[in-house]
Amino acid sequence: MSLSRRNFVIATSVAAAGSTLLSACSSGGGGGGNTPTDGATSYTGAKVTIGTKADSTGPAPEIPGAKKGGTIYGLSPQDFSHLDPQRIYYAYNSTAALLLHRCLTGYKTDSAGHQTLVGDLATDTGTASKDNKTWTFTLKEGLKWEDGSELTVEDVRHGIERLWAPFITESATYVQLALTGKGAKWRDAYEGPYKGKHLDSIVTDKAKRTITFHLAEPKPDFNFTLGMHSYAATSPKLDTKEKYDKLPAACGPYKIKAHTTDKSMVLIRNKNWDPATDSIRNAYPDSFEFTFGINILDSTDRFIADQGNDQYAVSIYKEVPAERIQKVLTDPQLKARSFNGLLTGLYYYAINTKRVTDLKVRQALNYAWPLQQIRQIYGGPTAGEIATSIMSPDLIGYEKYDLYGKNTKPQGDPEKSKALLKEAGKLGTKVVYAFPNDPTYMKTKVVIENALKAAGFTPVMKPVDQTTYYDQIQQINNSYDVMWFGWSPDWPTAFTVIQPLFDGAVIGNGLNNISQTNISWINEGIKKNAVIPDQKEAGKAWSALDKRIMQEVAPIIPETFQRRYYLHGSKVGGAQMDPQFASTLLYKTFVKA
Amino acid sequence: MTTPASPSPAAALEVTDEDSAASATPGTPKGTESRSPGRLAWTRFKRDRAGVISAFVVIFFFVVGIGAPLIAKVYGKDPYTTYGMNTPGLFNQFNYPIKPNGGISSDFWFGIEPQLGRDVFTFLLYGIRNSLLIATVAALLTTLLGVVLGVTAGYLGGKTDYFVGRVIDILLAFPQTLFFIAFWPVVIAIFVAPTDSTPVWLTVTSLILVMTAFGWASIARLLRGEVLALREREFVEAAKVTGASPARIIFKELLPNLWTPILIQATLLLPTYVTTEAALAFLGVGLSDPTPDWGVMIQNGAKVYQDDITFMLFPGLAMVIFVVAFNLLGDSVRDALDPKTKR
Repeated sequence: MSLSRRNFVIATSVAAAGSTLLSACSSGGGGGGNTPTDGATSYTGAKVTIGTKADSTGPAPEIPGAKKGGTIYGLSPQDFSHLDPQRIYYAYNSTAALLLHRCLTGYKTDSAGHQTLVGDLATDTGTASKDNKTWTFTLKEGLKWEDGSELTVEDVRHGIERLWAPFITESATYVQLALTGKGAKWRDAYEGPYKGKHLDSIVTDKAKRTITFHLAEPKPDFNFTLGMHSYAATSPKLDTKEKYDKLPAACGPYKIKAHTTDKSMVLIRNKNWDPATDSIRNAYPDSFEFTFGINILDSTDRFIADQGNDQYAVSIYKEVPAERIQKVLTDPQLKARSFNGLLTGLYYYAINTKRVTDLKVRQALNYAWPLQQIRQIYGGPTAGEIATSIMSPDLIGYEKYDLYGKNTKPQGDPEKSKALLKEAGKLGTKVVYAFPNDPTYMKTKVVIENALKAAGFTPVMKPVDQTTYYDQIQQINNSYDVMWFGWSPDWPTAFTVIQPLFDGAVIGNGLNNISQTNISWINEGIKKNAVIPDQKEAGKAWSALDKRIMQEVAPIIPETFQRRYYLHGSKVGGAQMDPQFASTLLYKTFVKA
Repeated sequence: MTTPASPSPAAALEVTDEDSAASATPGTPKGTESRSPGRLAWTRFKRDRAGVISAFVVIFFFVVGIGAPLIAKVYGKDPYTTYGMNTPGLFNQFNYPIKPNGGISSDFWFGIEPQLGRDVFTFLLYGIRNSLLIATVAALLTTLLGVVLGVTAGYLGGKTDYFVGRVIDILLAFPQTLFFIAFWPVVIAIFVAPTDSTPVWLTVTSLILVMTAFGWASIARLLRGEVLALREREFVEAAKVTGASPARIIFKELLPNLWTPILIQATLLLPTYVTTEAALAFLGVGLSDPTPDWGVMIQNGAKVYQDDITFMLFPGLAMVIFVVAFNLLGDSVRDALDPKTKR
């Protein structure tokens, strides 16, 4: 688990979860408490629909049996690293942001996890011009900040202009790129809001409550982009700049009452939030109390014991670890207190194409990698599915393919790998594998080392300190050949996966193209696919590009599309997984009578 | 201190080197045969049942550790292959052994490790081997260094004593675990190129050196105090008067009186080092996973004991038996060497 600022770098230690899908490939037969598990099997992201004005009008539909009042306790190993909405990109921080901040758009999630993009602050999901370069949104009436002042279009604009402030370095950059069209030099285009100047590309009309974005490049999915918390509204009057990160002003259903860094945080109701303006959030509990610094085995054991206030507790972010998954899934009482979901992202191993220059060696690595054994350490078939593509099943246009025989030989194919290495004359090639020195990856390293040896490589295992792991592997001159990594899409189109990971323009220290892939046809393909207005068509094009990348470049070894199980106390109702951020949807929870 | 317990064995042991026939004068009251103090100690030790049993247990552990590769060869498994994963039918879908009692069968005598699926029996043998090797070498070096520095400081006094004393103070005040965690990766980075694996011998050597460097202080301080008390005694004065060299006084007069604390300290050190080494490995700075390690095994067992107690039972029991036996053995040896003890 990293403190990586990038929201969607999936930054956790893995483990957990359950399904029947691939139990055929699991090594076990029946035996020792092997009741079939029935975890989530359907992805919802690719089916995300764009909601109408009616969908965007509050209040949110009631949850049967829910009632107001009480306190929900949240347990987590770590504190939220940022609360200033513009500094939120890391998924875990969004878990808190959903309760505090609001964006122009947002995802309305039903009890089955199906999502609809709706207007959150805006009355609907926006109107685009024909060329998708001008987007207009109208604000709802009755929106207020926690101090009772009105939330206006200027607050929305300020939230975006703040991204140019020098102290905000952790945000997503999609909107900045789209507005300026200057690529990596977007910061030069505007000096930030604190000297009194506004962005020319955003036009607001306070009387009509409209805000119009004039984009430099067409963005058919711009309304999805604006649902990211980096683009939440911030009032210029309440903006305390750097200090805003500690105590931001809320416009969501809750506000911060107290926050002791790395220890605890208490949220109480924001009386100025009007449920009639919000079609997404339910907000049944009167308050939330989060406790940080509890490791996952301890918190899981507390949920299992279900004593005292833990009866009202939920795991806000962390899943049941592999060591406890059997206990949780085979005990009907515990299972009833669990919920699960599939992650939208992909875990994979990036191959440094600057160091491993031979395509045959990269393909051999793909053949050799012991995906089944790795998944077994994560918790078996319950932990998810073996991945064979870059795009996850949760993306529009996903198509399954299996170039490296991972479905037929998930345990790795040392013969084929050896043959390829022989062909390339690279038998015994040294491969440096870097991974965070977390207990889970210390285990997967054992099977990886065995598999690489069997496949004719000379493996070198490099554990890297887990708190600085991302910083180290994101150095372009690092000395690693294969690096463990994970990535989740920011919204369900493949652009948010393939562009940050394989666009040659985003190679650099701290950036996510860590395989350092820079190939002209990929770069062009990304540019071309990004502007296809019809998302279905775009999806097909992305999928084709995905397959071609894996076939002709093989810059990564896809690992797993994971499933996670979470536990909650016996008095908690409405707990479900947020497919967007792979965490608990806190605003749907309630205290059971 | 009541009666000086020390002079007698000292004097007695001194005799050993000379021909004991001289001391075995025919006029001995009971008319027993002449026996050297070493032999007397041996007889006393043999009479101590607990001591003998624990000696056998300890020897058994060392034999098993040294003979691990041989046993593994006869048994036909190795501690590195992930049998549970390679052979279908051993694990259920959660990666726990299907068979009861942690998957114990005629193939896997102690069962298989949950998740990774390695053979527990050979893993434990190699774990014992590695842990004992590191702990024994570190304990021996620590004791040696502690004895030399402690006795020297105590006997010489003055500036030497002051200097050694301050070094001991600093070492005892040092947060050694934190220090090790912080500096070990740096040291490794200096010796190992980023594209190479850390060789196991380097890990082992650095572990031994660091544990020795930080461990000798307490034993040295203890011995220094003992020596300070002893060096003013009559028998040392007598030796000085007869013109004995400082070396002779240290080795022949003082050291024999110090065997008791040294033995106790050393026997305490060995089990401590086994656990210290395990703790460091757990924190990511000791031996790491493909290399079998006793302590790491117990740590892993502690995480899964709710579902697979067997996996924790074998290394845990082995560790308890070994530590208890070693402490009892140390106790018995001390008793045997000290004729004043009554049983």
